[in-house]
Amino acid sequence: MSVSYAAVGWNRQKKLYDWLIFGFCIVYLAVFIGLTALYNPQYTFETALIRSSATLALLLLHVILSIGPLCRINKRFLPLLYNRRHLGVTMFTIALVHGSFSIFQFHALGNVNPFISLFTSNTQFNSLSEFPFQSLGFLALIIFFLMAITSHDFWLHNLSPKVWKTLHMFVYLAYFLIIMHVTLGVLQFETHPLYVIMLGLGAGTIITLHLKAGAKEVKKDQQSFDLSSQNFNYVCELSDIEDNRAKIFCIGKERIAVYKFENKLYAIHNVCKHQGGPLGEGKIIDGCITCPWHGYQYLPGNGQSPPPFKEKVCTYDVRVEGTKIWLNPMSYGEGTEREGAAF
Amino acid sequence: MTKSLRKRHLQIWTILLALLPLGIISAKLVVPQQPTDALLQPSGKELLPFIVRSAEKENFAVYIRKSNDSTFQLHWINKNTLTYPTATIYLAPANVHDIATSLLVGRIEARGTYFFPIKTNAANEHIIVYDFIHQQIIDTINFKQ
Repeated sequence: MSVSYAAVGWNRQKKLYDWLIFGFCIVYLAVFIGLTALYNPQYTFETALIRSSATLALLLLHVILSIGPLCRINKRFLPLLYNRRHLGVTMFTIALVHGSFSIFQFHALGNVNPFISLFTSNTQFNSLSEFPFQSLGFLALIIFFLMAITSHDFWLHNLSPKVWKTLHMFVYLAYFLIIMHVTLGVLQFETHPLYVIMLGLGAGTIITLHLKAGAKEVKKDQQSFDLSSQNFNYVCELSDIEDNRAKIFCIGKERIAVYKFENKLYAIHNVCKHQGGPLGEGKIIDGCITCPWHGYQYLPGNGQSPPPFKEKVCTYDVRVEGTKIWLNPMSYGEGTEREGAAF
Repeated sequence: MTKSLRKRHLQIWTILLALLPLGIISAKLVVPQQPTDALLQPSGKELLPFIVRSAEKENFAVYIRKSNDSTFQLHWINKNTLTYPTATIYLAPANVHDIATSLLVGRIEARGTYFFPIKTNAANEHIIVYDFIHQQIIDTINFKQ
C-alpha cells in the first residue's frame, strides 16, 4: 500500500520473492540448455533457447494460475499471492524471449515482414494437424503483453478495478490459446506420450483447483441465515470469532466481514477496493483491518483507509445479544462511521 | 471478489473443463503418423510400383522406385524429426563426397515423406544429405542392391 506511485514498492519479502524467481529461471534455462547440448549436440543454441524458454513460460503460467485457487483452498499459500504480478511479468518476459527468437528463426530471414509472414506462411486454418499454431501463441503473447504493461497499481486505479479485472481475466483465454499452441505445434512433432500426459496433467490440475475453489465459494454463498428480527439476522456465536479476526457472512448479494477488536464487533464489506481481496480473511494489524492479499488497510469503525490513503468500503450495523451476534445486511455508504457493538 | 465475479470465474472454468480436454485429445488424434509434405515435391506424388534399391538408416528410409516404363523415383521417409535447419539431397557418383560434382535431387524438411523424380536407377551412385546453411554433409547413404 503506497500513497504515491513508484515503479515497485520494494520491501524485504518482494526482494526475496523476486530473487527466488530469478534464480529458478536462470537455473532452469541453464540446465535445459546444458542437457540439450549434452544429449542433442546437433541442436543450435537458438533452438535450445526457444525450447527452454517455451517450457519455462508454460511451467510458470501453470504456477500462476494455481496460486489463486490454492489461496482460496488453503491460507498457507497466501504469501505466493502477494507478489503474483511479478511472477506474471517474469512469465511474459520469458514468453517474449521464446516468441522473439521463434519469429526471428522462422520468419525474419526472408523478404516478407516477419509479422505478415507469421500469419501468411501457413493459412491452413481448416486443418487441425496443419493448423498455423504459431498464430495462437502470438495472440496469447499479445494478451500477456497487455497484462504485463497494465500490471502496476497505476493502471488499476486509472482503468478502474472493474475494467482492470476484466482485462486480466483474459489470461484464461490466453491459457487456452497456449495449450492449443503446444498441442497443435510441438506435440505434432514430438510424439512421445509423456509430453501429452504432462500437458494433460497440468491442465487437469489447474481445472480441478479452480473448480474446487469455486465450489467452496458457492457453498459459502449459499449458507442461509433464516433467524431474523428487526432487519437483523442471527449469524453466529460470539465465541466463533477470534480476537483481531473476522468471520464472513453472505446475506443477500454480498459478503460481510464481522471483526472482533478490543471487545467490540465491527462489520464492513468483505471486498477490498484494491483487487477485490477478502478482507474477512485478513487480520487486524496496528488497529487496521489488513487485506490478506496485498496489505491494504481499513479502520474497523468506518471502513476508511487511514490518511493519507483514500480507499473506503461500506459499513454495517452489528448487535450482540447475550452470546449471539446479529447482523443487519443493509449497508451504509462507504466510509460511514459506526460505533461497533460492545460485548 | 464480488459474487458476480466469483460466478464468472466458475463459468469460465466449467467451459474450459469441456474445451481443454477436447482440444488436447483432438490434437493428439490428428498427429500424422508419416506426414506427406506437398510443398517440396515438384512432381511424382504417386509411388512407383517396383523397389529397385533401398537403404535404411536410423533417421531415414530411402528407396529407388521404378515404373513399367523405366522412369525412376527417389522415395524418401524421415523416420525421426530432422534436427537440421536445412537438408538437401544429392545423388553423387561412387567415391565422390563433394556436392559440387553431384546432382541436386531436392530438399527435405523436418518431417515427412518425399518423392523425387530421378533419371537413373542409382546403381553406381550414393546419396549425400547436405545442410546448406551450415555448409556441411549431414549423412551419406549407400544402397543395398
